[in-house]
Formats: sequence, C-alpha cells, structure tokens
Amino acid sequence: MTRQEISTRIEAVSKKIFGQGTIISEATTPNDIEQWDSMNHVVLISSIEKEFSVTFDIMEIIGITRFGDFIDLVEKKQM
Amino acid sequence: MNNPEPEISNNLYGFYDLLSSTCGIYSEKMDHWSVIKNLPGCWPRIIYKIDPEIVKPVPTILFSEKLRSGTYPEILIAGDQNIQQIDPFLRSRGFYPFSAWKGMAIANIEITPPTLPENIEVVKVESPTDLDQWIKVVTSQLIVPAHLEKTLLESLIAHPQFEAFLLKSNGLGVSTILVFASEHSTGLYLIATEKSAQRQGFAQLLVQQIVFAKTQQSTNPIVLHATPKGEGLYSKLGFLPYNQFFLYRFINMPL
Repeated sequence: MTRQEISTRIEAVSKKIFGQGTIISEATTPNDIEQWDSMNHVVLISSIEKEFSVTFDIMEIIGITRFGDFIDLVEKKQM
Repeated sequence: MNNPEPEISNNLYGFYDLLSSTCGIYSEKMDHWSVIKNLPGCWPRIIYKIDPEIVKPVPTILFSEKLRSGTYPEILIAGDQNIQQIDPFLRSRGFYPFSAWKGMAIANIEITPPTLPENIEVVKVESPTDLDQWIKVVTSQLIVPAHLEKTLLESLIAHPQFEAFLLKSNGLGVSTILVFASEHSTGLYLIATEKSAQRQGFAQLLVQQIVFAKTQQSTNPIVLHATPKGEGLYSKLGFLPYNQFFLYRFINMPL
C-alpha cells in the first residue's frame, strides 16, 4: 500500500469521527480540529488499528501529535 | 537529591487522595487501584494508583464485572511500572491510551529568583476577587468536572496542604498554579494560563517564582506531572524527567 493510499483510508476513518467536512492534512493536529478531544483521540486510534488490522504500541500512541504520525505508524507496520 | 521517582508518584496519588477527601468526593482504596467517584456506588471519574497485580485472574473478573455494569471511568491513570504488561490487559477491556504525563522533579540547586517586570505580580490567592480570577483561568483551560468547579476549587484552597497562586499582569489574573505539600515533596498542579495571555512567558515566570520560594522553605524535591505540551517549558526551568504516567479513556461504543 502506498503512503497516499494509507492517507486516504485514514482520512476516511477520521472524517467518520470528526465530520465529513473536516479538512485534514498530514500537519493537522488536535489543536486544528475542535472535535479532536481525548475521547475522539482514542476512538480514532482504535478505529485506525481496526481499519488496518494493526496494533500500536503504547509508546507509539503517546508519540502521536499530528495526523501524519498515524500514516507513519501504519507505513512502518507494513514493513 | 535522592532519587525522587517514588515521590513523583506518591505526590500525585496523595494529591488525588486529598483532593477527593477535601472536596467531599467519594474515594475508595481498593485492592488493586484507587478511585475517585461523585457518589458511593457509581463508577469512578478517575482511577489511579493502578497496581501491576491487576492483571492477575481475580481482579480481572472483578474489573470485567464493573465494566459490564455499563459504567466506566472518564480517565484512568497508570504508572509506568509494568506498563507493557498492564497495557494489553487494559486495552482488551476497552481502555485506550491517549496521552502520557512525564513525572519530573527539580533538585534543590542554586536557583536565582526571577525578576518580575513592573506590571507583573504573583499573589497567594486569599481574597474573593483573586479566587474568582484564579477559578476563571483554571476552569477555562483545564478539565474540571463542570458541576464541581467552584466548590471543588474553593475547598482545595481552604485546605492547609494546598496553596493557590495567581500571576497578575496589569492587575488581571492570567496564570495559575496550585501547590500541594506532602510530607516528602512539593507538587505543582493546575498550571494554566488564560488563552489570550498564552505564549508570553507568564506560566514560566510563575513556576520560576514558586520554585524559588519553595526551595527557600524546604529541601523537599519539587515535582510535577507534565503534559507533552508543558514538558519543554519545565525542562528549560531545570526539571528532569524520571517516570511516566499513562492516561487511558474507556471506549463505551461500537466502533
């Protein structure tokens, strides 16, 4: 799977949580999306894990600060 | 300074213990964790002091029974002791980590007092006006149970182990801190800055001022639990990281 494909799928998952109109880029952080609170953060993490059938380590999770970090993690899990 | 790591945990757990008793919130020490609840019998808002033994069979059943009842905590805090073992256990029961606090401490080294600009002052919160301003900043910036806001914070400030300070800029309160003195350490909590006053160095000035004052009064280590956003500031002020506390939320919904 290419980085673009991963990004597209994560964006689709994210929009289900934050709303279809949400603008998301790799640089997007929780500060940019009002609905990206701690509750939606854990929903997003678990939804992405489910989407790609992967499990993120706790240290990987706490290192997530922006949308692009999810793409990096999924990409790493594919290797 | 001796290894302050145990004190970083003890201060946090002592803070929650006292927070619950001071504010009339129900708290309970169970075999494998402590909890803060709004009322006896309801499921807690915060679970803390998680014992690594929680992963053993008996408490697992107990834990599952609680979850099956449909009630769940808002935040669960786990220390880093045995976290790699506890984490899969918690996740298998619907808890997901979302952030971590860095347990930090500062040695009683030579600390010079910060110079405050003329329009800045740091006051101990005692007057009703300062208390109102302090509460306004804290509740606008930090997650505090809405229905407990004012009474909770008033009760805290009235307790002798807590001291609240407010940094004022041109007479207006902009930054807050709550100091919790336990027997062996001094903990800094509720460090917040009013949104329009952020990124101007007010929190840094306030923390510096309090750290200086407290190191003059006691040789106890000064500890805090830094969010990822605050870690850089505290490192700059001389705090060193020693351990971590992982924050979990329970997902009570089908994904």
